[in-house]
Order: sequence, then structure tokens, then C-alpha cells
Amino acid sequence: CLLTGIRRVQDLCKVLQLPKVCEETAVSYFQRALQHPSFHLVSLEKKELLGGCCVFVTCRQHNWPLTMGTICSLLYAKQELFAGVYLSLQKELELSVPALSLADLVTTHLNSFRLFQHRDDIPAQYVEEKEKMLSRTMQVVELAGETWLVTGRHPVPIVTAAAFLAWQSLRPAHRLSCPLARFCKAAGIDLPPPAHLRLKELLGILLRMASQLAWLRVFKMDKKTVVKHMGDLLQHRVFLLRNAFCLEEEEEQRPVTAPGEGSPGSPPAGGGVAQEEGHPKGRKHQQEGRPGPLLPPCLAKPRKRLRTAAPSASDSAITGDEPISDSDIEQYLRSPEEIRAFKKAKAWR
Amino acid sequence: MDADSDVALDILITNVVCVFRTRCHLNLRKIALEGANVIYKRDVGKVLMKLRKPRITATIWSSGKVICTGATSEEEAKFGARRLARSLQKLGFQVIFTDFKVVNVLAVCNMPFEIRLPEFTKNNRPNASYEPELHPAVCYRIKTLRATLQIFSTGSITVTG
Repeated sequence: CLLTGIRRVQDLCKVLQLPKVCEETAVSYFQRALQHPSFHLVSLEKKELLGGCCVFVTCRQHNWPLTMGTICSLLYAKQELFAGVYLSLQKELELSVPALSLADLVTTHLNSFRLFQHRDDIPAQYVEEKEKMLSRTMQVVELAGETWLVTGRHPVPIVTAAAFLAWQSLRPAHRLSCPLARFCKAAGIDLPPPAHLRLKELLGILLRMASQLAWLRVFKMDKKTVVKHMGDLLQHRVFLLRNAFCLEEEEEQRPVTAPGEGSPGSPPAGGGVAQEEGHPKGRKHQQEGRPGPLLPPCLAKPRKRLRTAAPSASDSAITGDEPISDSDIEQYLRSPEEIRAFKKAKAWR
Repeated sequence: MDADSDVALDILITNVVCVFRTRCHLNLRKIALEGANVIYKRDVGKVLMKLRKPRITATIWSSGKVICTGATSEEEAKFGARRLARSLQKLGFQVIFTDFKVVNVLAVCNMPFEIRLPEFTKNNRPNASYEPELHPAVCYRIKTLRATLQIFSTGSITVTG
């Protein structure tokens, strides 16, 4: 089992074209893991994934951008199972795994695009220079990071959406009519489902920034036309972001009727109830034509949440040792007639 | 958020998990037949029984081990567990309520600010772990308390342990 596993790890490293030092590290992790008691009795399927996890951890430690999706597809493994084995490995061996660098991921992801050389099956206008596209995509991803679109989200859909916008903006005349799905097909990559949502969010941010750019204020921008001006927007993004979201900060600093005071750029302070009151107020401000604060999208448009009822006085008086009356228990027992009917229906088998 | 600001945070307990033993064998078929609000999971060998007040769900094994979930305080968990034991007694089993223990408490809290998770993780290694490909929250473990916190970018924090 050990030798087969080591060979599998080495083969995986060769497929990924990892340097020798990474291969050695991955093999040593694999040997350590197999010797650990937690992994003695796991299934064969999990032991096979263990090798992949060791390679994954090694890549992250050596800043070699590799996503879980890639390694799962190489191992033909379910991501949930792989995730479970990976987290166990990280915990049991006490491995320090650095975060995935988004900049490196952008470079690796774009390397898999097939848009940088002329091909018969794609129009000539779709072909782009790699360096230009990489540089612009990186800027869009940085913008996404600064505007709360990256944190807490899967990175690949963001990179895909950013690459699409960057590609469109480099030759908008020929590419604005191309939708995201066709772009992914032309590039030879899968379209991750959340990419549409990330694209919508990015366009929303760009439109807000465009409203602050002096020479664009006279135009009526929409999600198509804003892409044409992306170069300018990205060049001045620091200034534009500050302007696009600073008006709400000035509103918050004035005495307002909202409960409590929030720090600039954040929703009003307090617990969940105060936040619920604050968000309708934020939406009301937006309806009045004022820009809203820079919030994560799930806070800017919160979903309806079921609130548990506040504990009543009688609930808080429970000690756990109260007497229990028979009548309380009767409701949890079937009557003889019900038992007979149930038996007849054979529903209990 | 200023260090001097005095903001009250509501910490809401949303779930308490407890276990107890009945010190007798339990006939799951009989419980499924004669008990109300019961779901019999024959394939995995357990019965689920739901109580209304307090609102808890009990998982019952034939060995006599019972796990209760859904209570919103430790006292409520104990009360619910005792009611369940009493129900089993009424069904005819020689139940002795023993080895009661609260094993997990889940609480939720909302911070009045958003949190940039990558920076938070970088500043709090090795306790913090953030895998955006798997879960949108940072997992922060406090070994001394044996507690795990899930920290979301919205400022919402769930504490289990």
C-alpha cells in the first residue's frame, strides 16, 4: 500500500510538472500520514486521496497555484471526500498550509486559456495577447478584492469573470456581443456556475465607479458601455472607489435616526435586530439616489432570515429539574385505537 | 471600532446537544409503533423522536443511548431529556435517567463590522484556517477551550464546542 501510494504521488507530481523538491516533500508527507494511527483504518479510496492531498499541501507550501478542483479532476474524486481527507491530514500532521495566492492563480488559470494563438474554430478578433490580458485581469481581480467580492467566495469563478471582462475591454467593438458562456467555450475552459453572479457584481461596481469619472458623467452607462471604459476606470480605481462610496460615509457621520453609530463604511453597530433596521435604511438611501456603503454583497442585499423568537420569561425560568406531569407525556404516546390503526396500515415496519 | 467604544454584543445560543443513557435495552419497533412524533430509521438502527416543548429532537438507539438536540439552553436540554426519558418509561421500558452530559453548545454572534478574511487569517496563524474553495468562513480553533469559531466576512461568528 505504501509503495503503490508513493508511486501514485510521484506520478501525480510528474503530471503536474512539479520540481523534484516538491515531489520529495509530498512523498515524505504521505509516508508520515500513513504511519499516523488516524489513517491506518481508513478506506482504500481515502488512502488514494491521501496522496493527492499531500501533493496539494506541498504545492500550497511552495506557492505552486493548484486548486482543489484541478486535483480532484486528476484523481476522479468527489470534492467533498477530498476536502474531508485534506482537513484531517492538515489537523493530524499539524501542517501549516499558506493561503492560495490569487495572483498566482490568475496566472495559472490564464495559462489554460486557448485564446492566445490563432485557431480555425474561433474568430480572429477573439485572439488576444497573453501579457495584456494577464495584466488587465490582475487589475480586475485586485478591484474585486478591494470591493468585498473575493472574501468568502470560491476564487475560480471570480478569476473567470475578471478574465472575461478584461478580454472584452481590450477589443470591445468585436467582443461585447460575446456572452460569457461562448467566451469560456472559445477559451476551452469550464464555466463555473457562480461566474455569472460574480460578473454581475463586478459590472455593478464598475458602473458605480463610472458615475464618478468626470468625462463619463454625461453618458448614460450600462453594463455593455462601461466595459469600453474599463481601462480608465482601472487606472483611477483608488480615487473612484473612494468617491463612489464616500458620500454614504458623510451621511453616517451626521446625526441620523438609525440606532447607534457605525464606523465609516460599515453597517450600523449593534446586534441582529439593529442590523435589520439598518439595512432597510441603507436601501432607502439608495432609492433616494444616494450611493450605498461599500458592503459585502450578502450584506447589501440580505436574504430574509427566520428569526427565532426571543426567549419568554417562562422559558428563561426553566431549571431542568421541574416535575413532569403525566398529561404532558400523554401527547407523545399513541392511543390504543391509533396503535391498532397503525398496525393495520403496517406503516411502522 | 474604537477600543473605548462600548458596544453590546448579543450572543444567542441556538443549539445545545446533550446525551444520556437509559441503562436498559430499548425496543425501537415498539417505540415506533406506540410513540407519536416518531421516525423509525431501520437502515441505520435508530429512532428519531421530536418533542414540542421544549422543541428538541432525540435520537434513540437500542443500546439505550439517547442524543438530544435543538434546545436553546442547558437547562432546557436537561428538561427535554428528562421528558423524553419519562415518555420511554410510559411506553413500558425500565428507564433510569443516568450519565446526562451536555456535549456541545452552538452560539451565534454578530459583529458590527465586516471582516477581511485573508488578512485575518494571515495575522492569526496557526489558529485560523481559511479555505475559500471549501467554506466561505475562517475556522478559528481555541485549543484551551476546545472551541471552534466560524468567522464570516459579514461579521457573523458561530461558536461551537
